[in-house]
Amino acid sequence: MTTPRAKAGASGFDQLFSSKAEGGHRVKTGIAELDEMLRGGFMPGDAVMVAGSAGSGKTTLGLQYLFNGVKLGEPGIYVTFEELPDQIYRDANNFGWDLRKMEEEGKFRVICTSPSLMLESGDGSLLEDIFREVQPQRLVIDSLSHLEMFVKKDDMRMEAYRMISYLKTRGISSILLWESPQISGGSFSVTDVGLSFLVDCIVALKPVEIESSMRKALVILKMRGSDHDKRLREFEITPAGIKIQSAFTNYEGIISGSPRKVASEKFMELFRGASEKRK
Amino acid sequence: MFRGEQAEMSGSEILSTLLGSEVRGDLLVLFHRNPGLIDTVDGVARRIGRTTVAVINEVRELLELGVLRQKRIGAFEVVSLDRAKDRELLESVANHLKAVRISGEK
Repeated sequence: MTTPRAKAGASGFDQLFSSKAEGGHRVKTGIAELDEMLRGGFMPGDAVMVAGSAGSGKTTLGLQYLFNGVKLGEPGIYVTFEELPDQIYRDANNFGWDLRKMEEEGKFRVICTSPSLMLESGDGSLLEDIFREVQPQRLVIDSLSHLEMFVKKDDMRMEAYRMISYLKTRGISSILLWESPQISGGSFSVTDVGLSFLVDCIVALKPVEIESSMRKALVILKMRGSDHDKRLREFEITPAGIKIQSAFTNYEGIISGSPRKVASEKFMELFRGASEKRK
Repeated sequence: MFRGEQAEMSGSEILSTLLGSEVRGDLLVLFHRNPGLIDTVDGVARRIGRTTVAVINEVRELLELGVLRQKRIGAFEVVSLDRAKDRELLESVANHLKAVRISGEK
């Protein structure tokens, strides 16, 4: 089987000693502010977990990562256990991403299958024809949480490890979506099956209520082998996809679900209030 | 379980096979809208709101025609759209329809 590495003309041995592997090269998400937060992008071949509750923007982030990848010359595959491809095409079209056209050009595929088949195909035989045709450098699995329904809790970590290893040995940079209703509290527990240790990077998306309105927050919880922005950043899903804004600098306790203004901000408000009264 | 053998068929035979039943029509719509679907016959049946018994022969017809292809994944037989073959068959049908129209005009 021809792997993306083989296509790029670099053997595993070459890659071991190339400057790219030392940190020069990054896998850009194409979302400028996120790439800046990641100090250029994800590390090549890394398994990235994007965790968040339903409607937090995980699928949009995954599709945007693949769409931008194709624009950068890196073919991609989107594996969905949930939505049928025609829904994905439709939703992507709303952002101006013509996935069908990219499929016709052989640079992209949406694969819809069941988690049980994915698990049964431990050797990757389910996707191997498609890998041969598309030669993907990026892959998104939507979502890893679905596998939980088909394996015992104790086996989940082993199955996820097998899947991640399969992609890593092919040099594919993957995003694994994880439905996580409870990214809150001081422990930052993203999954309750110990998957956080298996992945190289964790990006958490979280809806937050601030001053009676729902806003969305993004934070990089972990990134192996690289510095990254530790701040909690606000983001919006715009007609052109995800747009990351400034950090929630004036609030604390956002992750715990009880955002409140930081003491200095409260003091400033009091000060402003008092000076206005004096006028 | 199935074999994807296809004898040489004319455009009109392909067309009548494709439109041979309502279930077959549903299957074609499902796979055309979702060309990346890979599933068992059970799974495919569920996705179009039918029972396995109702779709099994229809899937066999499409495999024999070559629109679908099958593969063994562990203990499961899965089916998916053969994009290249599908395109080829659609071209045959289109050519047939064009020929019918031209002869009708004469």
